[in-house]
Amino acid sequence: MNIRLEYVLFGFGILFCLAGVGYLAAEYVKHLSEAGKLASLLLTVAMFAFLSKYFEDIGW
Amino acid sequence: MAIKRRNLYLYLTLLCFFGIIAIFIADGYMGVYDTVYITAEEREQKIEADVWQRNDPYWSVGITQGDKTFLRYEIDNRRFSSYEADIEVTIWQMQEKVSDVLSRHIAIGAFKKDQIEWTLDTAALIPPDAQPEQRFDYTLTIKHGEIERNIILYINPPPYPIKAVPAPPR
Repeated sequence: MNIRLEYVLFGFGILFCLAGVGYLAAEYVKHLSEAGKLASLLLTVAMFAFLSKYFEDIGW
Repeated sequence: MAIKRRNLYLYLTLLCFFGIIAIFIADGYMGVYDTVYITAEEREQKIEADVWQRNDPYWSVGITQGDKTFLRYEIDNRRFSSYEADIEVTIWQMQEKVSDVLSRHIAIGAFKKDQIEWTLDTAALIPPDAQPEQRFDYTLTIKHGEIERNIILYINPPPYPIKAVPAPPR
């Protein structure tokens, strides 16, 4: 049990960031037009695809 | 070479993320948004702009005959330019205009809000020869620029007073 305090704080920071982005997404997705929703969906898919490739390259 | 490609994936991920944020700001936040507040039968209803984007673009409100309804129409201009329009509020029944409620010109600055308030008296809408148990349906239309909001007003008869039944003699 030798977890450094910084990592715990980073973890909280990432969690709060995700919660904030999730809240904003839930709040504003209802105002998006159909084209905006489609473009957001495509960008989300592309984002996860590129992120997966990045993690694959670093050996995860 | 491998590090360059790895960084390219990371940059593309970030590009997609900021693209999503940009769409949310430009398409989801920016624009002209309107909210209707209706107070009838001691209850305030809030009709936000996204309600009209659903499959059924109508909202209905029940009002008791003789009661007054308080309406507030708020326009939120989330644009870099000012918004100017003529607001027209009318009442319709069976595709025919029954009355003009109000007509006003509004000019709202960039990222500012404005609101209009008015009262609707149901007694003025009901024909004088109407029966007390009769129900009436009207459509309240709020129009400005390309935006049109339709609210169906169900004017219900007043509830009958409860009569006390005398106890049967013993």
